[in-house]
Amino acid sequence: MAGVAAAIPRAASDDVMMLRHLPLSGKGFWLSLVALAAGASALLYGFLLQVLHGHAVTGQGSHGAIWGIVVANIVNFIGISHVGIAISAVVRILRLERYRQLARLAEFVTLAAITTAVLNIGMDVGRPERFIFNVVWYGRYHAPFVWSCTVITTYVVGSSVYLYLAMRRDLWVCSAKAPVRRGFFRVMSLGYTDTPASRARHNRVVWWLAVIILPIMVSVHSVYGYIFGLQAGRPGWYNPFQAPYFVLGAIVSGFSAVIIVLAVLRKAFHWEAIFHPRMFKGLGIFLGFVTLLYMYFLFSEWLTGSYASPEGERVVFRDLLAGRFSLITWSAVIAGMLFPFALLFVQGVNPRMCSIPLTVLAALLINVGLWTTRALIVVPSFYHPLLPWDVAPYTPAFSEWCIVVGSFFLFALLLLVMVKMLPVLELPEDHEGAGDGWAPAMPFWKQASVGGSAMAGMVLIGVGVANSTRPEFFHPPAIWLSGILLLLSVPFQICVLPERARRRVLRQAHGVLSSSQDVVVGVQSRLAFARQARVGRYLTSASSRAIKAPVLKSPVLGNRPYDKLRAS
Amino acid sequence: MSRTSSRRAFLGALVGAAGVAVEEAAAVERSGPPRRHKWGMVIDLDRCTGCQACAVACRAENNIPIAGATNTEKGRSIFWMNLLATSEGTYPDLRQQFFPTPCNHCEDPPCIKVCPVGATSQSEDGITQQIPDRCIGCRLCEVSCPYTRRYFNWSEPSWPVAWREHLNPDVAPRPHGVIEKCLFCHHRIRAAKARSRAEGRILVDADVRRLPACAQTCPAEAIVFGDLNDPDSEVRRLAESPRAFRLLEELGTHPKVFYLRDAKWQE
Repeated sequence: MAGVAAAIPRAASDDVMMLRHLPLSGKGFWLSLVALAAGASALLYGFLLQVLHGHAVTGQGSHGAIWGIVVANIVNFIGISHVGIAISAVVRILRLERYRQLARLAEFVTLAAITTAVLNIGMDVGRPERFIFNVVWYGRYHAPFVWSCTVITTYVVGSSVYLYLAMRRDLWVCSAKAPVRRGFFRVMSLGYTDTPASRARHNRVVWWLAVIILPIMVSVHSVYGYIFGLQAGRPGWYNPFQAPYFVLGAIVSGFSAVIIVLAVLRKAFHWEAIFHPRMFKGLGIFLGFVTLLYMYFLFSEWLTGSYASPEGERVVFRDLLAGRFSLITWSAVIAGMLFPFALLFVQGVNPRMCSIPLTVLAALLINVGLWTTRALIVVPSFYHPLLPWDVAPYTPAFSEWCIVVGSFFLFALLLLVMVKMLPVLELPEDHEGAGDGWAPAMPFWKQASVGGSAMAGMVLIGVGVANSTRPEFFHPPAIWLSGILLLLSVPFQICVLPERARRRVLRQAHGVLSSSQDVVVGVQSRLAFARQARVGRYLTSASSRAIKAPVLKSPVLGNRPYDKLRAS
Repeated sequence: MSRTSSRRAFLGALVGAAGVAVEEAAAVERSGPPRRHKWGMVIDLDRCTGCQACAVACRAENNIPIAGATNTEKGRSIFWMNLLATSEGTYPDLRQQFFPTPCNHCEDPPCIKVCPVGATSQSEDGITQQIPDRCIGCRLCEVSCPYTRRYFNWSEPSWPVAWREHLNPDVAPRPHGVIEKCLFCHHRIRAAKARSRAEGRILVDADVRRLPACAQTCPAEAIVFGDLNDPDSEVRRLAESPRAFRLLEELGTHPKVFYLRDAKWQE
């Protein structure tokens, strides 16, 4: 924990510094909000064009590019969404204290990117109004799209729970220290009480969530690889390599996105003291390493595709490397991968060259390069169908560019909203070694609720999977998705359900009752409770209803104080 | 079998009239369940003149909308039946071959596997069906079809007013944003089945030989339709001929559309 002490400044003025991003004021904020909202409206405009005039406004066609740059954009944003949680989970699991303050920001990047990606999917499909309902209700277990729906839902819900639980203490701190919106933070912290026990419980739960989320994050992008890699009738796509290739691409573009976002916020809120240049150097070195690995994967794919592969494959790769796409391909590789890699490498080996602008430049180039590479995965295959059909050349149309450019604006807008609404930095803890303690055992009813949800969740998943061959009757994806939601509610329940408040209420009520025997039990106890609890009373009010419930003769509940009352 | 039969006979002797019914059931059991159809098509390329009458008839029969010049140029026109033009050899020895290409109704179709919502499925008779009302328009099936025999509705379908009265009432038009494809004129197959049932006989090869609009229209009689499970059908006989081949057989999709050609294919 010495690392925490070094990383997190302790002075009272630091709270002001760490929370100064919260007030919705300043010319810069309003200007950027208006600019980003205007840019994001392009997304809506492109979508409206498609709704009003049909997908014929795009450059795509059945004998042409069946999928276009919007699909490349989806892959790009799904990729970016990965890394947020990956960074955060790795920081937590491996206890990388130096990057601790980066975790929350990276989680915001995840949520903003995945929202944008799902919106993009909805805008690319022909019938957006049926899209989500039909996939959940009529989903077929053998379709990669249903796998992707399942893992994305798991990922979105899981990372939201993770983000919330990791942030809950900071929300509570904000309800006392934030310059603005203290009521909002009090509501958001859902009755958190800052005791060593609850801190320990949160830390443990979040650690386990991090362990669970890492494989889910790998699965999300693997599934995107499978959407392409399992198509035997598509030259250039059919490739067992596709899943790891996509995961690596996600790591590359996600890291570059996080570096860019980090640099912008550091500048905007003057957080130079928190995000040390050392952090950029570390991120840059890792980004350079994965970029190198990506180029190696790319080389391996191109060699396999163009050496002695079947004619159908070879024409695609010839087109990519020396044909009509060669200019785009080579500029993406040279300007978007080789050059930034060189930049990062030089910075890594020579400390005097190390600078944040250079790292950010490299990250920007890599992001553009990776986006282009995604488009080059999607489009060229359509130019060479296996049968010699005439193919209409694909030029991305205005509506598609609207969606792509608007997506980047929307991504930034969502990030801006989250950064302004929620605490970005992990606020310092008052106690030394906080969170190392053990949480006490949960009360029985809470164990029952948590265990019941976990059991019910697993049973639902089992029922869904077991009936996956009878989709018209059982609607299995709906069943297993609700199971997954129940399972993911378990960490939330463990942390958020109150446990101390009830016992205190009972003791209080008992005291009141023993002094005057003729009071109405329910009302009196509720009043006592209202005096007692300061935060989150709406959540715990359920326990006062439990008090009014008839007493059960059970060994666990037998020692309730009302037993005496009822007996008398 | 004999033990079962003897037991049945014993039971029949016991219960009299009811036993007769049991005997009849046993007789049906011996002859096996009624044979399923497996619709297939044979297209004789040596007869085909490339006149495209099949494609035109298909458009008229199945209410396929008119795409217009721009959309056709961008590859957005819909063809359930289309002519794939291929050329063999180089200039002086150039030969052209037209392949009329309906949906191949593969026995192992890649499109059904990838459909997330079950909008496409295989009927009992082996037809790869499409439910436009359920389709979400993700175009995964179109992407996965190695033959490019599935078409997306890139815009709302429209016909000139004067043409609307010529639309086929048996086939519903499809809206914007869904996939459509050749269905082997399944509405005609259903009508033929209903007719034969009304006449109290089973469907025979002569009922279906020229059933789909393309086969009916082909002036060269190059297209033959029928039941591949019927050992006596013409389509079965032709599909087993040494001239028969299928498109992209190496993919293992097992198409049910066969092509006949004498000359060896040289690319």
